[in-house]
Amino acid sequence: MFNFYLLIGIIFISLLFFIIGHNEAKNIKKINNIKLHSLSHYYGIFVLLASLLPSLGMYFIFTIGDDLLFASLIQNYVPIEVVNSEDYNFTIVLAQIKNSVEGLIFGTPDQWVTDAAEVWKSWVYQSQILTSISCIFTAIISGFLGYRKINHKFRSRNAVEKIVMSILAVSSIIAILTTVAIIFSVVFESIRFFALIPYDDFLFGTVWNPQFEGAERAGSGQEGLSQYGAIPLFAGTFLISIIALCVSVPIGLFSAIYLSEYATSKERAFFKPLLEILAGIPTVVYGFFAALTVAPFLRSSGSVLGLDVASESALAAGLVMGIMIIPFISSLSDDVINAVPQSLRDAGYGLGSTKNETVMKIVLPAALPGVVASIILAVSRAVGETMIVVMAAGLAANLTANPLEAVTTVTSQIVTILVGDQEFESAKTLSAFALALTLIIITLGMNFYALHIVKKYREQYE
Amino acid sequence: MENIKEDFKNLDLTVGDVFSKDARLKARNVNVFYGSNKAIDNVTIDIGNKEVISLIGPSGCGKSTFLRCFNRMNDTIDSCRIEGKITLDNENIYNEKIDVVPLRARIGMVFQKPNPFPKSIYDNVAYGPRIHGLSENKEHLDNIVEESLKRAGLWEEVNDRLLSPGTGLSGGQQQRLCIARAIAVSPEVILMDEPCSALDPIATAKIEELIHELGNEYSIVIVTHSMQQAARVSKRTAYFHLGKLIEVGKTKEIFTRPRHNQTEAYISGKIG
Amino acid sequence: MNKKRITPLEATNTVKKSIVKRRSKDNRLKLYGRIAIGLAVCFLLFLFYSIFTKGYPGFFQYYVTLDINFDRDRIDPQGDLSDNSLFDGEASKIVNESLFSIIEPKGRKAKKQAKKIVSSGKDVRIAKMVKNNPSLFGTITKVKFALDDDIDSFLRGYIKRETPESERRISDKVIGFVDKLNQDGRITYEFSDYILKGSASGNPEMAGIKGAFIGSMLTLSICLLISFPLGVATAVYLEEIAKKNRITEFIEVNINNLAAVPSVVFGIMGLAIFISIFGMPRSIPLVGGMVLALMTLPTIIISSRAAIRAVPPSVRDAAYGIGASKLQVIFHHVIPLAMPGMLTGTIIGMAQALGETAPLLMIGMVAFIVDIPNSVMDPGTVLPVQIFMWADFAERMFIQKTSAAIIVLLGFLISMNAFAVYLRKKLERRW
Repeated sequence: MFNFYLLIGIIFISLLFFIIGHNEAKNIKKINNIKLHSLSHYYGIFVLLASLLPSLGMYFIFTIGDDLLFASLIQNYVPIEVVNSEDYNFTIVLAQIKNSVEGLIFGTPDQWVTDAAEVWKSWVYQSQILTSISCIFTAIISGFLGYRKINHKFRSRNAVEKIVMSILAVSSIIAILTTVAIIFSVVFESIRFFALIPYDDFLFGTVWNPQFEGAERAGSGQEGLSQYGAIPLFAGTFLISIIALCVSVPIGLFSAIYLSEYATSKERAFFKPLLEILAGIPTVVYGFFAALTVAPFLRSSGSVLGLDVASESALAAGLVMGIMIIPFISSLSDDVINAVPQSLRDAGYGLGSTKNETVMKIVLPAALPGVVASIILAVSRAVGETMIVVMAAGLAANLTANPLEAVTTVTSQIVTILVGDQEFESAKTLSAFALALTLIIITLGMNFYALHIVKKYREQYE
Repeated sequence: MENIKEDFKNLDLTVGDVFSKDARLKARNVNVFYGSNKAIDNVTIDIGNKEVISLIGPSGCGKSTFLRCFNRMNDTIDSCRIEGKITLDNENIYNEKIDVVPLRARIGMVFQKPNPFPKSIYDNVAYGPRIHGLSENKEHLDNIVEESLKRAGLWEEVNDRLLSPGTGLSGGQQQRLCIARAIAVSPEVILMDEPCSALDPIATAKIEELIHELGNEYSIVIVTHSMQQAARVSKRTAYFHLGKLIEVGKTKEIFTRPRHNQTEAYISGKIG
Repeated sequence: MNKKRITPLEATNTVKKSIVKRRSKDNRLKLYGRIAIGLAVCFLLFLFYSIFTKGYPGFFQYYVTLDINFDRDRIDPQGDLSDNSLFDGEASKIVNESLFSIIEPKGRKAKKQAKKIVSSGKDVRIAKMVKNNPSLFGTITKVKFALDDDIDSFLRGYIKRETPESERRISDKVIGFVDKLNQDGRITYEFSDYILKGSASGNPEMAGIKGAFIGSMLTLSICLLISFPLGVATAVYLEEIAKKNRITEFIEVNINNLAAVPSVVFGIMGLAIFISIFGMPRSIPLVGGMVLALMTLPTIIISSRAAIRAVPPSVRDAAYGIGASKLQVIFHHVIPLAMPGMLTGTIIGMAQALGETAPLLMIGMVAFIVDIPNSVMDPGTVLPVQIFMWADFAERMFIQKTSAAIIVLLGFLISMNAFAVYLRKKLERRW
């Protein structure tokens, strides 16, 4: 709530400055009877921005900075014997203190935790006062400085436009920042993971059996049981993606061919959006459908045929995922098929080809790179898909090619490891980041490749 | 031949002799609509055997649309509707029983912009014989390809690179490749829709020469916006204006003594 | 002999011979296309059918009508209608007494079983009623109470009378009680009070989607507030202002890549950056909205850019021609003209965000939260996550409630998308 009021305050001050600046400009015009360089409201906006932007900047620096500052300062309040103890872990200590600050107290915490929390609280209080004062002060001072600049020669419109342009430029940097943040958040933790587990064990190991550190501490009889071989996860992801492709490629491709070559314009206008509904359904709904409708159906029909289908099978997840990615393949393929110039079709028809021959021998070969790209994009979608596999594929890291068994995937392991309470710094938690890193590399690699193909393909017909 | 004069009306619209003694294609009272727009209005004309006929007229007069009626290329456009009768050897090609595939095999077409398939030169020419199953074996197919390329005057230029892509040729070569592709299926009639409009003068001259030669073997209907071209390649010329066939006659006569005042206006450059 | 040329007549005959075969091949491809579309549409219909038939009963549940003696001294011992006082009161006891007077259970064990027939939310219901309408005190009024989920399942026929007693979740005795209530005509099947107005609950008969729905709305508002201005600003910058150079190219590559990053990765980023580094609390709609905003940003940017590009240069030229500055051209002409396209993209992005689950699991919006969030700083959950959590519960009634929640979610998504389509049709200009 404090933050909310402060922001309202800052905005209120800058609005005041708008009125002041606007009036001042009008006065100059009226009293001196001279023409201003810009329209009077530009002077108001200039003063408003002059007041608002620096104080907002100040606000964000304080709000983001104080937590980081407190976290480093609080280290001094951790007793030396705790720091020196063997299983000291600052992240955990910090979490304990923060929980205490927020009033979440589990059991009876040590006295020093409570003390540190008290200190923290007093810092928060001080920081709030400091933040308010400095933000409001900045707002007033910089607003006043902006106000002083107003005279009839001042090119306020140009100044405002410059500021707005830079705001626009800064917003476009968010995209880069997001990418950096994603890489940053995944790479650092992965490096720590690979410090604990050699990367070749991770990439080529065939057993995935992560355990929490608590379970494998020395003397518990469980030490060294954890294994982080990601091959079963890759295999599971691969298996499910293959099943999904077996469903979606024929259906998507034939639909695209039908819609672009055979369908009347009415059929096209009706079926194309209908297929795209499939892409708009939330994945959690697909997951629910897979787990509660498709999986039991497969299980019962499997038992009729004398097959033993696991209640969470790769087949159920793969089939439903295949349904989900039909529209990706159909509409992307439709686009590339439509991009094949009509003159090629005309040439085919002019020679007396049937539609089949025109599609199969002229259009599809010409559109092939684009179709391949759309399939790659669909695969990358399948590899990154999470909810369906979490809900329907299970968690058992079986290394199997049998679609009737339960398998697990990279994404479902990430979710399982990171949802709920995590032990900081344990190899198990860190392994999720390493998995995420491989996931990013795989999906981005496929995306890059697909876009590259599409680009080359487009160039061919431009 | 006898009853031909009875199965059409309103001949008075067109000046000159629309009939041909040895007609292969006969169009009778053809109307073409795009949606509710009438693009071709009551056109009647004969195309004779082994005759080169030019369709000329200002742009938008419907000459290309009319050309595309002869091999039913307008079928690919949803909103297009055709009334009237077109016969090939006295068989109505708009009869429901007629399949467009064999029809188009008999009536080949060359388009305005050269449109070779993104395949090798060889595959471009071999495409038609392959889909129609014309060749008995590989050797025969090679012969068809060679023969067609030779007749299209392209063999000398490409015989050393038959397997390189057809799209890599120059514009004029591409258009001759398209002609070779069309004659590889042994058609009886070739329709050409402004085949030189995208080409430079030298390439145009080559194509025109080719048309001239091919005229000895095929009936050729050529749409052109260039009167000079019509004069150079064709024996007969038909002048279209706003969807109507205004005048038909020997090329020489049309260009020297047009009978209809609209034709005269076009020839003398008043309409363009 | 191979040198011979094929005459047109030969060619025609050859073509005619093979035409039937070629036509049937052609029809086969057409048939395959029809089958493929038919299959896809069947999947879609089956999905909707299965969700709808499962979810429709989820909006209804069984109620029992009991005569309640609103005795103020017992319900509200302190007489001030405060939460404390009502909590101390004996509302549940009164309900049980009324129930016992009808079904007359004999012995402690039977009474204990009988109590469970009515959902455990009975006291809360009475407290709410008297708070809203204190004039109830002193009257004897008929009140409807939800039945326990096992009884509900029994009445719906999921738990069968024929099943041996040891294998079903309710005993013969309880079935006897329910029969008695039924004979009295006290059991009714009606639109559920709880599904739309209730919040997360361990008792399936009282579980509802209100909390998750409000959480979704809060999260979505944050997402919209961040991603719309940012997306439009970026699109305007890239299309209208920036020169094509390496930096803008790099930004473009970045945007395209972000569109391909799996959503779960955005959750990991939220966990690592917003929660671990910036120290923001877990489970709050603010963080959820921020993560979803970054996730939907590429969608909005890409569609906004397309919309801007569709504004014809002649409009810009006209405005420049009368001496407008670059920003005036952008803000007075380009943005208003591109707005329908931008809004369409934004709505589609919001629909995507509304259905997203995985990244929100990462930032802890999966916690079991009974309270309805009041602000973006209160812990909360969202509809898709609620669906995910309910789907994990074993009780039969949760399956129905999950499907009911899915119907609500799909209803929102479909209307959002329909609105986007409408907007595009209505406001789109053809230049």
